[in-house]
Amino acid sequence: MTEARAWPEQVEIDVLRYRPETDDHPVWQRYTVPFDVDMSVLQALQHIKDEDDGTLSFRWSCRMAICGSCGMMINGNPALSCKTFVRDLLPGPVRIEALAHFPIERDLVVAIDGFVKKLESVKPYLIPEHPRALSDGERLQTPEQLEHFEQFSSCINCLLCYAACPQFGLDPEFTGPGALALLHRYNADSRDAGRAQRMAVLNAEQGVWSCTAVGYCSVVCPKGVDPANAVNQNKVNSAVDYFLRFVTNRREQS
Amino acid sequence: MKPGPAARRPYVRPMTGWWRRDPYFVRYMVREATAVAVAVYAVILTAGVVSLARGEAAWDHWLAALRTPASIALHVVLLVAMVIHAKSWFEIMPKTMPMILVGHRRLQAKTITRVGWAAAAIASLLVTWLAWRWWT
Amino acid sequence: MDLYQCDVAIVGAGGAGLRAAIAVAERDPRLRIALISKVYPMRSHTVAAEGGAAAVTQAHDSLEAHFHDTVAGGDWLCEQDVVDDFVSHAREELVQMEHWGCPWSRKDDGHVNVRAFGGMKIERTWFAADKTGFHMLHTLFQTSIKYPSIRRFDEHFCIDLLQDDGRFQGVLALEIATGTFRCIQAKSVIIATGGAGRVFRENTNGGIVTGDGRALAFRHGVPLRDMEFVQYHPTCMPGTGLLFTEACRGEGGFLLNKDGYRYLQDYGLGPAEPTPRNKAMELGPRDRLSQAYWHEKQKGRTIQGPHGDVVHLDLRHLGEKKLRERLPQIYELAVEYLGVDPAKSPIPVLPAVHYTMGGILADGNTAAPMPGLYSVGECSSVGIHGANRLGSNSLTELLVFGKKAGESAAAHAASLSHADTSRVEALAQAALGCARTLVDRHDGRERIATLRREMAQTMEDGCGIYRSEQPLKATCDKLAELKERYRHVQLDDHSTAWNTEWLLAIELGYQLDVAQAMAHSALERRESRGSHQRLDGYEERDDAQFLKHSLAHYAGNDVPRISHAAVTITHSPPGTRAYGAAGEQAEAVRLAAEQHHD
Repeated sequence: MTEARAWPEQVEIDVLRYRPETDDHPVWQRYTVPFDVDMSVLQALQHIKDEDDGTLSFRWSCRMAICGSCGMMINGNPALSCKTFVRDLLPGPVRIEALAHFPIERDLVVAIDGFVKKLESVKPYLIPEHPRALSDGERLQTPEQLEHFEQFSSCINCLLCYAACPQFGLDPEFTGPGALALLHRYNADSRDAGRAQRMAVLNAEQGVWSCTAVGYCSVVCPKGVDPANAVNQNKVNSAVDYFLRFVTNRREQS
Repeated sequence: MKPGPAARRPYVRPMTGWWRRDPYFVRYMVREATAVAVAVYAVILTAGVVSLARGEAAWDHWLAALRTPASIALHVVLLVAMVIHAKSWFEIMPKTMPMILVGHRRLQAKTITRVGWAAAAIASLLVTWLAWRWWT
Repeated sequence: MDLYQCDVAIVGAGGAGLRAAIAVAERDPRLRIALISKVYPMRSHTVAAEGGAAAVTQAHDSLEAHFHDTVAGGDWLCEQDVVDDFVSHAREELVQMEHWGCPWSRKDDGHVNVRAFGGMKIERTWFAADKTGFHMLHTLFQTSIKYPSIRRFDEHFCIDLLQDDGRFQGVLALEIATGTFRCIQAKSVIIATGGAGRVFRENTNGGIVTGDGRALAFRHGVPLRDMEFVQYHPTCMPGTGLLFTEACRGEGGFLLNKDGYRYLQDYGLGPAEPTPRNKAMELGPRDRLSQAYWHEKQKGRTIQGPHGDVVHLDLRHLGEKKLRERLPQIYELAVEYLGVDPAKSPIPVLPAVHYTMGGILADGNTAAPMPGLYSVGECSSVGIHGANRLGSNSLTELLVFGKKAGESAAAHAASLSHADTSRVEALAQAALGCARTLVDRHDGRERIATLRREMAQTMEDGCGIYRSEQPLKATCDKLAELKERYRHVQLDDHSTAWNTEWLLAIELGYQLDVAQAMAHSALERRESRGSHQRLDGYEERDDAQFLKHSLAHYAGNDVPRISHAAVTITHSPPGTRAYGAAGEQAEAVRLAAEQHHD
């Protein structure tokens, strides 16, 4: 990995700053950071905050791409700063901006309470057909049945897919790739029987039908969740449901 | 800095020119634009069918229009657009399908794409052969 | 300052906090719950746990075996009655998680699969791929959404506990986005704020693991128990400290020194066999493996790397297919962060701090000595880990004791009415003032990062894998100096909205208090036991003098006072803590003695 090449001593980092108490709009600010061959963008930001400018605010925690805190735009691409390495962005300057399509609260921190509400709206919990006593032990599920939904359960809620989705950018009410992938995760779980209760969210104008299959969400997803697949395969389900309701006069559950 | 809580004042960045920001979005817009090519070609074919219904004179008139240099140039453009349209459709097609397990292994997206291309290639060859048979 | 009244306030929304919230909601849906977390729940550090959660499952396993593994693993410093309770409730909690949708990995017949884990005699660790903590946290968070009585205060930082007349009455929280202070008055408070590994230089922990709840309880007179016991995880990434799960070893990985030799056989864990054997070699307990590394380093048999001396975790013989299937996250970590393909090359690893066994004194029902306070999870010391935690016991702990904490707190809240609100608000105002002093100061002279680095370095030096009197004393002195310098810490950021530098400063204060409790407790334990090992004449376990818990008592500007308390021993008298072949021998002797008794 580290071939003998001349690494620079320093690298420039441009960050889009925004302080709600003093700024009318965001401004770019340039920092210079000592370069190290295995330095991540997150480590560069931490260096800036520790040594140069304590006023730079950004979210982070686990440093291993599992908590989903550190999503931001790095050189125009939605990425996790803990897993993006400065050596791949040389010679710089590296441009860092808050995650696209979300309102900026401060510096690299975006408002995600809208997303959390959407997550809550898809009924993201198991709705079994029949209750089961603890003494009856676990419900059985074969490895094949697990495979049907495991991928969609790997979402770390990093919201890179929302930053990649122009439909969400144009209409913030769109339920969006992450929330819909989570909805699909539960529908695809063999232990769940709550599909009918989640139909209203899928069928809505801002459910699957706001998606135009751009597909960028699945490209940027760091966990291989493939939200584009989750959303688009449910267009068929939504259409079938609509048709059946129309034909059989079945009422939509909510 | 005055003490006390600050109100939230989130800044919303405008979406103007969003599709120019990222090569992926540019390719997406090109894909969407190729649907126009499909529509244009459908109109041309419809005109052909209508001309056929109107009789030999109308039909010959339509064929003559197709043979003009302008028309040929248009058809080249439409053909390129169709190929791009097909390519991008076959790439996105696997996204519309549920997970298919063959034996214990998952059917890969690229397999579905290749099946799509194969079907398109076979259909194109068949039509070309028929056209050649009819012409000669 | 806003006021919010509820019945149960829970600080921390990781696995333990969420499980407690659900327990309160299920027990009595009329009780109002405030679930307060400085990060959104899915960011809590439970998310990073990988290996699994233990519970007796197989027919040839027994509660007695799990009990014995845990007590022996803890080097007999566990509260045995609590361990009994723990092992007997483990399975039902994991089944509950399955009922809530947790995607446990399965056998072909559809039953939940179990795997081997360090220090466990029989396979009993339930797992969800190699992301068990992630799946458990997301399952709990998503399930918690079902209960309307749980009101979440996301991204609210806990500034202080409110304690009047000895009784805990709520918390003062700061809404990070706006700088609004919220006085949350409650009848019961549950602390579930996690560990404190960030006080050390090399650690597996996320940035948020700063011992907040421990420090707050400590400052309010609750003793911190067994703080000297800090767990080093033997296989971590050099530089960042990120974790390579124990499951790597459970699946058959080897640890090699610079000669390609499986060195653990030299440290009483052998003999070396080609396939993993429970409680032997690479499946020995974490403290013994970390100590073996230290000895290899002294002997010059480790490999020098750019981020320190390493040993090799060799997974090549597993083959790419098995690696991608059973250890996909490890594969990704090694390739992306280190540029190493584990199917072709061994992974450089070294020990880093992973878990803090000690914590807030809690009884078997998670209650603190003072009324109104409960603690659960890594921040608490209910007494199941003793001197060394076995891997996969802590994820189960979150569930078993999360439920107990919720039920205890709910029962307590239901038995009371709210105290005088004006008194509680006055306490909150005072705490608010202290917090504001920090952010409004303009005449300070110390940078947060400098103090934090010096703290982390001195803890590494004096409170590491092996300890001695002189370095420990030096660390204690250094920490006292850092606490004094902390009073002059200067922030760049004086704003109110999203001022994360302010939070880092408050967290540093918490960490210094916790570090002092650790260092002084370590100094006073003049023996070696579990993860606390000394080289200065106290190399042996001393049951006569030190079969006792340590208790650290806060003394304001003075150093903490350390006292000791008895350990509850019920049916496992202290024995030899042995693994590998020696362990099998000792086990046979023990079983024979037990049968003789019956």
